[in-house]
Amino acid sequence: MSSMSSWARRILALLAAAGTWQLLTATDAVLWLRFDRLPTLGEIAAELLQQVTTPIYYLDLLQSVIRILTGFALAAAAGITVGILIARSPKASDLLTPLLEAVRPIPAIALVPIAILLFPQDEQGIVFITCAAAFFPIMVSTRHAVRALPTLWEDAVRTMGGGRLHVLRNVILPGALPGVFGGLSVGMGVAWICVISAEMISGDFGVGYRTWHAYTIVDYPAVIVGMITIGALGWLASAAIELTGRRTTRWLPRAEGSSA
Amino acid sequence: MSLSFRLDGVRLGYGHGAVLDGIDLDVAPGELLAVVGSSGSGKSTLLRALAGLLQPYQGKILADGEEVRGTSPDRAMIFQEDGLLPWRTVRRNVELPLRIRRKPLDVSAWIERVGLAGREDRLPRELSGGQRQRVQLARALVGGPRAVLMDEPFGALDAQTRADMQRLLLDVLRDTAATVVFVTHDVDEALLLGDRVAVLGRGGIKTVLTSATRERILEEL
Repeated sequence: MSSMSSWARRILALLAAAGTWQLLTATDAVLWLRFDRLPTLGEIAAELLQQVTTPIYYLDLLQSVIRILTGFALAAAAGITVGILIARSPKASDLLTPLLEAVRPIPAIALVPIAILLFPQDEQGIVFITCAAAFFPIMVSTRHAVRALPTLWEDAVRTMGGGRLHVLRNVILPGALPGVFGGLSVGMGVAWICVISAEMISGDFGVGYRTWHAYTIVDYPAVIVGMITIGALGWLASAAIELTGRRTTRWLPRAEGSSA
Repeated sequence: MSLSFRLDGVRLGYGHGAVLDGIDLDVAPGELLAVVGSSGSGKSTLLRALAGLLQPYQGKILADGEEVRGTSPDRAMIFQEDGLLPWRTVRRNVELPLRIRRKPLDVSAWIERVGLAGREDRLPRELSGGQRQRVQLARALVGGPRAVLMDEPFGALDAQTRADMQRLLLDVLRDTAATVVFVTHDVDEALLLGDRVAVLGRGGIKTVLTSATRERILEEL
């Protein structure tokens, strides 16, 4: 019952936002903000229906998904590995932390010029920027999660005769998982921001490129369709990580009704 | 075969100074030595050193005549706090020492022995404090250790559960030949369980009593 009313509230909130948009654009409202140049819901729906029947829409979508998955997978592998290494080894921390902390404040999108110079193809540059964006939240969250693990669990495994690899496999990886998933979730969010931005700057395909292209030819309904597509893809990616995280950390105590 | 311990002029601490100094102690094979002392007297420190989790600044700790330089599955440990891995079920927690040593994962008998049959698939958070300590006991004994080091395992339990656990412990230990060092702050528990009682005071062992009485221990504390 409470789940039903929760869903009803969510749907109602979306309908209210769509209704407000329709009201403002259909009446060409010019308040301080100008809605007279923005497309109505009908125009957006017509554009969406037209686009989903063309192969180029799916090619763009596929291109963006491949870029994000590649960049994100590389960032996850590197971020988790480096995070664990820094948390567990003072020597590794001494070697890597100064460099990482110097690079971390640079927004990944500011790496576009470097990416263009470094990589022979735009494609690799976009993946690099996506990877760089997702790497830091994943690495930092992993580092914190590993450092916060109680030493008791490690002691328990060691007194069973377990060595470093046993501790890594049986304590560090599963114990740090809740924190790691926090980092993956944030990393996926910034990875989407960066892949779309990079596509807008230097792509030939992809949802970001197509959205920016629509803007340059003054096709505003197509711009909104691009934004809706980006939002839906980002939401799906975050939901997938959230779901995987919850499934792999079932052992965590959770408050009732905190599943959604 | 059970393990003997010898501590010879041992000085132990954590970097900011010694917690225990000049510890000389012998624990015979198969003996249950209760170590009693007040909070901060270094009971857990002593146990961590016997487990090989802490190296002495000075002196030697010998297990069957060989210097203890690290942990070993021969010396199992039961912790006061919940040492169970919260993401592993009861069965998988008990299996862990066997998995590490690549032994057959035959744990059902031990789970039944500690009274947890039917709860194998539960997570630690789904168990009571007493049940979690039962899992720790099964996990410590499943690999057939030669010594069991117990760090106030029943300290956080209510009186009834504590009495049940003490009975269970004496019962299961009868079937094993393991040497046991049992740390507690409870004089009655030390008297009930220990073949001998070592009294720990500030800085070291005050005395080891072969036929201890409540009055004698309280006098030494």
